Amino acid sequence: MKKIVVFTLLFLNLYSQDIVSKNKRCFLCHGKEDYKIIENGKVKSLYVSSAEYYQSVHKDMLCTNCHYDVSTIPHLRKPKKIHCLQCHYAGNVVGAPVKEMPEKYKESVHGRAKEKGKKAPDCIDCHTTHYIRYHSDTLSTIHKRNIPLTCGKCHMKIVEDYSSSIHGEALKKGILETAVCSDCHQEHDILPPEDPRSTLNPKNVIHTCERCHADVTIMKKYGVPVKQVEAFKESFHGVALEYGVVRAANCVSCHGFHDILPSSDPRSPIHPKNLAKTCGKCHPGASENVAKGKYHIIAEEKEAGIVYYVYNFFKWFTLLVILGLVIHIILDLTGRAMKKVKKKAE
Amino acid sequence: MKGKREILRFSRNWRIQHFLLILSVVLLILSGVALKFYNSWFGKLMIFLEGGFEARGALHRFSAVLLIITAIYHIIYIIFTKEGRREFKALLFKKNDFSDYLNLLLYNLGKKETKPQIGRYGFREKLQYWVFFIFVFLMIATGAVMWWHNYFFVVLPKWVFDLIYGIHGWGGTLILIFIVFWHLYEIHLTPSNFPINMSFWDGYVSEEWLKEEHPLEYEELKKEGK
Repeated sequence: MKKIVVFTLLFLNLYSQDIVSKNKRCFLCHGKEDYKIIENGKVKSLYVSSAEYYQSVHKDMLCTNCHYDVSTIPHLRKPKKIHCLQCHYAGNVVGAPVKEMPEKYKESVHGRAKEKGKKAPDCIDCHTTHYIRYHSDTLSTIHKRNIPLTCGKCHMKIVEDYSSSIHGEALKKGILETAVCSDCHQEHDILPPEDPRSTLNPKNVIHTCERCHADVTIMKKYGVPVKQVEAFKESFHGVALEYGVVRAANCVSCHGFHDILPSSDPRSPIHPKNLAKTCGKCHPGASENVAKGKYHIIAEEKEAGIVYYVYNFFKWFTLLVILGLVIHIILDLTGRAMKKVKKKAE
Repeated sequence: MKGKREILRFSRNWRIQHFLLILSVVLLILSGVALKFYNSWFGKLMIFLEGGFEARGALHRFSAVLLIITAIYHIIYIIFTKEGRREFKALLFKKNDFSDYLNLLLYNLGKKETKPQIGRYGFREKLQYWVFFIFVFLMIATGAVMWWHNYFFVVLPKWVFDLIYGIHGWGGTLILIFIVFWHLYEIHLTPSNFPINMSFWDGYVSEEWLKEEHPLEYEELKKEGK
């Protein structure tokens, strides 16, 4: 047994040694930080950090596994452009993991834009080319903490808005339960909000926010009220949305989205001073009156204030009326029956 | 109802008002309950039958207009017509109404010797009328605020809207129980009228019935020589 283990370890070591020594030939040039060419009038770096490469998921791969058209050193021609789908397709024989991601990507806004020949991110734009790491690796471009940076490479203004939002602030503090881009927009299957399947379609926004905001454990941990979602669903806006009236307000109509802030922040659209303007987007008559009262109330709960007492009054009053009706009917029916019996006896 | 129905108890005007009221209130309840119980199978079925969420709202507003017209018509009727003034006067509460009602129950149960004499409208009818009167007013007022909320946002604070939303919903439930169920029992399902009291449709009742249920009204009619 011991022999087998030693042998295996030795073999693996030799094998990886083999990879390192084979790749070394490539890094001879490409491992130099200032290795570059001028292509179409632009300086293009051809540097690949070997240190980072050997920490990536592809560390056990030869450079030529992907750059298969390079067979001699120095290679005289520019190698062909390669694509992840070379290996990562369903049924591949080299064992490259394939989830449903490539298919999802094709459906997404990015995939469709790419198909039309527009400038849009492909796999490598988010996952990097040579330094792909698992999403659980804190140094990965797709680790939750780094996602805003990754998306922000293109969506610069949005990331700026996001980083000053309550979600962005929480992320800066290292709170990973906060929402980053992909939590609301999805990852590979990012769809435009007009698409009914999109997590950000007006009908689905509430379900997207509710994934965290109706989760008692997360919300309790950070002192965020958790009943808001439930209360909203019972409100007129919520019911209208459920029945497909998408012009009714959903969460983001009032709270904003990338730059979402708590009501205590004067920049927030739901700060009492800004409410008139926020409600006024749909209700032209909205004045400072809209700030006089509570939002997302549940009538059954004491926090609802006067509405709670009205609810209870009516609840008991209605029960009383039902009781009265039953008593009245019983008395009336027995009385009339008794009278009939008496009349017959006479 | 026993006997031949040949005494005209309700005028055509009275019956038309009643018919308009049935129509508008039934439509209002069906479209209102659909929203209040939107999450139950019944609410979902009602919203489907009413042609979707927005059509439901349109139906509710349409029947509300019908109710408002009926209410205005009724006010004009009780102020400007002789018949209306007489009916209204007969509907005002009197001192003995409640005790008469209790005594009649007790008399039927054999606990009282004498039968109290009930007139054209007894306590039960008067209670129905006045509760309905108040509730229709309440529902029209709260409903109007919600219908024209964009105007009322200017004058009313947010919490008043929450209040109105609650009152309107519960008011509707109370109307359903108090007016509809109770009223149905009193007028149609009670043994002396079972299964239906057709006087709401043609206005006629029988002599025997009137003598038994509204003796004072019967006496009065006799005095007038009708």
